[in-house]
Amino acid sequence: MSPNVKARSALAAASLLLAAPALAQAPQAGTDTAQPEAAAPAQAQPTITKPPELVQQVEAQYPPDALAQGLTASVRLIITIAEDGTVSDVQPTEPVGNGFDEAAIAAVRQFRFSPAEVDGVPAPVQVEYVYHFTLNAPPPAEGAEVEEPEAPKATLTGQLISRGSRSRVAGATVRCGDDPEAPEAVSDAEGRFTLQVPPGECAVRVVASGYQLYQTKEQLKPNETTEVNFYLAPSGGALETVVRSERPKKEVVRRTITRQEAQKTPGTFGDPIRVIQALPGVARAPFTSGELLVRGSNPGQTATMMDGVRIPILFHLLGGPSVVNAEFIDQLDFYPGGYGSQYGRAVGGIVEVGTRKGAADTLHGSVKVDVMDAGFFLESPITDGISVAAAARRSYIDTLLPAFLPKDEGSTLSIVPRYWDYQLRVDFGAKRGASSEEEAQAQAGGARSSGYVMAFGSDDQLRVVSSGPKTERDIDLNTHTNFHRLKGDWTYRKGALTSVFTPYVGLDNSSFEFGTARQDGRQYSVGAREVLGMELSSMLSLRTGLDLVYEYESYDVEFPAPEDFEYVSFPGAESVGEMVKERISLDSFDGALFLEADVKVGKFTFTPGVRGNLHLVGDTQNVALDPRLWVRYAATARTSLKGSLGLYSQAPETFRYVIAPYGTPDLVYQRAFQSSLGVEHRFTDVLDVDVTGFFNRRFKNVVEPGQIVQRESGGFYQERYSNDGIGRAYGIELMVKKNRASAQDKWSGWLSYTLSRALDGRAGPRPERNGGFGGGFSDEDAPTYGLSIWDQTHILTLVGSYVLGNGWELGGRFRYTTGRPTTPLNHTYDLYESDRNGYRPTYGSLYSSRTDGFHQLDVRVDKSWQFQSWTLTAYLDVQNLYNASNAEFVFNDYRYRTEYEIPGIPLLPVVGVKGSF
Amino acid sequence: MKALLKYGGLLLALGASACVDVEDQPSKVHDFRVLGISLEKPELMAPTCERTPEALDVLAAEVTYRALLVDPAGEGRPIHYTLWACADTEDSRCSDEANRVMLAEGTATAGELSLAIRPGAATVGEDSLLLERVQETDPYKGLGGIRMPLVLHAVAGDEEVYAQKLMVFWCPVVEGMTENVQPVIPGVLLDDAPWAEDALPELSGKGPFVVTSEDVSALEETYVVPGLRLDAVTLTEAWEISWHATFGEFSPQVTGGADLGGQKGKHRTEWEPPEDATEAREVTFWAVVRDGRGGSSWVSRRARWSP
Repeated sequence: MSPNVKARSALAAASLLLAAPALAQAPQAGTDTAQPEAAAPAQAQPTITKPPELVQQVEAQYPPDALAQGLTASVRLIITIAEDGTVSDVQPTEPVGNGFDEAAIAAVRQFRFSPAEVDGVPAPVQVEYVYHFTLNAPPPAEGAEVEEPEAPKATLTGQLISRGSRSRVAGATVRCGDDPEAPEAVSDAEGRFTLQVPPGECAVRVVASGYQLYQTKEQLKPNETTEVNFYLAPSGGALETVVRSERPKKEVVRRTITRQEAQKTPGTFGDPIRVIQALPGVARAPFTSGELLVRGSNPGQTATMMDGVRIPILFHLLGGPSVVNAEFIDQLDFYPGGYGSQYGRAVGGIVEVGTRKGAADTLHGSVKVDVMDAGFFLESPITDGISVAAAARRSYIDTLLPAFLPKDEGSTLSIVPRYWDYQLRVDFGAKRGASSEEEAQAQAGGARSSGYVMAFGSDDQLRVVSSGPKTERDIDLNTHTNFHRLKGDWTYRKGALTSVFTPYVGLDNSSFEFGTARQDGRQYSVGAREVLGMELSSMLSLRTGLDLVYEYESYDVEFPAPEDFEYVSFPGAESVGEMVKERISLDSFDGALFLEADVKVGKFTFTPGVRGNLHLVGDTQNVALDPRLWVRYAATARTSLKGSLGLYSQAPETFRYVIAPYGTPDLVYQRAFQSSLGVEHRFTDVLDVDVTGFFNRRFKNVVEPGQIVQRESGGFYQERYSNDGIGRAYGIELMVKKNRASAQDKWSGWLSYTLSRALDGRAGPRPERNGGFGGGFSDEDAPTYGLSIWDQTHILTLVGSYVLGNGWELGGRFRYTTGRPTTPLNHTYDLYESDRNGYRPTYGSLYSSRTDGFHQLDVRVDKSWQFQSWTLTAYLDVQNLYNASNAEFVFNDYRYRTEYEIPGIPLLPVVGVKGSF
Repeated sequence: MKALLKYGGLLLALGASACVDVEDQPSKVHDFRVLGISLEKPELMAPTCERTPEALDVLAAEVTYRALLVDPAGEGRPIHYTLWACADTEDSRCSDEANRVMLAEGTATAGELSLAIRPGAATVGEDSLLLERVQETDPYKGLGGIRMPLVLHAVAGDEEVYAQKLMVFWCPVVEGMTENVQPVIPGVLLDDAPWAEDALPELSGKGPFVVTSEDVSALEETYVVPGLRLDAVTLTEAWEISWHATFGEFSPQVTGGADLGGQKGKHRTEWEPPEDATEAREVTFWAVVRDGRGGSSWVSRRARWSP
């Protein structure tokens, strides 16, 4: 064997990998030129604005024993590059033995890279790197050089396609046979390759990162071109997406859910919003409700946005599937508190739904069908630099329900629920072959614009008709609500300056008919957000901007005069009032100016910020100033301490400002003080732990109703709302998350635990009446402030997923929460009210008791079949596998003598089918 | 939309509670209860809103207080009662001694308790009219009528009930106001056949047996009350009838009324004996009507049921 040894390595076109933090494309293999890990088509935010470059390479020592035996190998490594460009960790994805692993790791540990940047900020990233150990052919004997006649060549050309998804496989190596000196070709971004080899039989070997070794035989004829398509089998499932790079954590707590997790977390029916409930700091909502109860806040106090635009209605049919189609999302970011000055209009948490950028390689799509609805997703490049993604979904329970409704002679019952939603996104300004942001900017003449236009919307209808001589009451209910949003996103980058401008317009319609009552509402909204980021030095960067929303709402209502709004109610059977007709319109403006800075001092990063809010509705003008501060201390490369405190504001919804008594025109901003302190540690590259304590206090929150007020002109009205709401919550959250190290890693999941206490109520005196539409208090003697009905001392969630192989994947979710607070009965005598023919309860101390703890196991099984150009997936999602009888609420018999528990969802299997290509 | 969400949540909770089997139901009369209270007149209206002797005389008129006491398992045991009038409608037991007046006390047995009372003349403290205390306590200062709570404290053995009825005193605050007329069920039908008070029809089998009230729509009054803006608001009664039986169960247990869209319910219900019942027996039925503004009355019927 020749003593000439060559140990070659290469860093792949790292930009491909790194430029897509959440979006790994189809994995790629490395040969002469190292190839980065995969990046799926996906979202644009955040972006790796500067990929790492290898600036110092060290050649590995060829293992002597392997050399003696003439062995070769390729060692595939995951390299973690720290913020300063040093190699902080190296792990082989699949050890190859014979000393190759150790030699490669030892060499790579000495590599040095230029620091990578995400959104203009140095950040740790991961790249896949392949170290090849090959043996050179012996040099020809001296004087043996002879001119050889040119031999005939055969050409093998074609395209490499990911089996099951039709993604193009770039960066793969194609060669004939195992000879290290044989010619080879590397596939381009379209997966195309051209290989020129001697004619004859070619034992094709295709090596690609994230794919199984592909081997086949082709007979190649002299001077002829053979064109082929090779379908490579992904090593971790056709739809596997491996997220390698990671955004720097600016916020104290940001929890990210990938599309994969959003779709496959058991017990959530693939509903992305409901997956948020499995994270720390979120109390369990009753039944299958997706309501977000974050760190002691109440429903409606956590803002959910799609690419920065608030989603007005989260769930179809009040508590059905969320309007966010899981196929269309790229990832979800959840901020339970302590978020930056860019965010406002919430005193609870923030959920940011990042949508999916259309694929750049070719047309992809999927069709999904389950018991509730069916939908599709399509993504495709349109032309160079422009891609489109679209999804739509429609329910069909309206066609199935009649089969299950009772059919009774003499009565007619018709229930027609129907919903649909859509999302559309068109991206432009892709980097067109540039390997880095800098290169792209250079290509574009020093500055670069990119962006997208997105539209999303939802429509819900419910019609209930019950009539006939045998029915006790004729019912005719018809509701219809929909919304549409159209938003743009223009990102401009030039040097250290980044500008993101996101305008949007919206239209909301709602109509409600019930008997003679009718309400038609329409809302027009227009808003814009401008965020300007400037990196002034390595120690200082600034972000500033505007966040503006204008709304115009009009309501056309007609209804029988409601008691306690138009006249003083009498207990018992409500009389039918004369018809009241109103046309109401009002507009509101809610604007904010924000400024924040990242100041790095040694291992500390201080982020002071301030958000000034202005709210104008009618004659009401509200101002709120929200100073905020985060501090992060990078104790080690793997450990950070972090803390935050700040004020947060949320303007009441515009409709609450309509004239009294139907609204309260002088409401002010709802406010909250939020603080947190925590530590996060990365045990390994795939195992993170985060422990965060928090203390929140809410004040001036909107509660219903307010006090009874005597009019100056005579008469009375009861304030519909008031700002008397207060609350407090404190606790500690633990998150342990295990990510998949590679496509071959079978385990992933997380453990989430929250220990907390939440208080809620109102300041000031109790209203003397409960108002026209309910609210208020059922027990006149109860204190006005105490434990929140949503308080859950312990909230534990375990989520795990295991790839069984052969297309099978098994997932489970186990939850335990402390039981819901209840107020015990203290019955010794009956309190009967004859006029309303009802009883009044005698309670013990407010929320001094609880239901039993909630525990439930949900399981999901997925099975995928990969065909040549598409994949079929079937799943079974079973809620409450062991049929635990959990109490969701407590109610009483009519005399308030005995308590009964309302059970939660029993064992509930749901099946679905999805085809994707 | 928010109201819709609220009612949606309520519907969900109601739907879920429907899955729980609660043994004790309002229509199943098996122990000591007060099923209804009626005042004759149901309200007193002064001729003027000025404090004149004539007006006070009208408001101080005698009324007949009737309470429907049922005690099917009591075997005729004595029922001790005390009737109080007090100032605060939230005082379910008339426990505020400074603002209450005892109107009657005694012992009765199950059936209709009838008392002649003059709550409008009741005084507290140093000769203050209780009526005035009621008005002071009312957050609307009597704009919805002065509603004096009358609380019957009835004790039968170890069972104890405080039953509140509001006595309404009016004056013509706005034009068109008239005195309430007592609601009366015009007749009851059993499986579409008239069911007379003294009849004892035979019922056989598991049913259900359809019980209806004769049409009451012509009796439901259209009336005027002062609005919270001091204007006149016109309302139309939507009577509710609650159905009770000493054996078996009604479904629905309350009929009539109106929903928030103004749609009125029908007075049609179904009575079913218990599924496991095997012995024939005589069953007493009651239907208590309420007009939603203080008027109430009831009728009683009997039938013989056999499996």
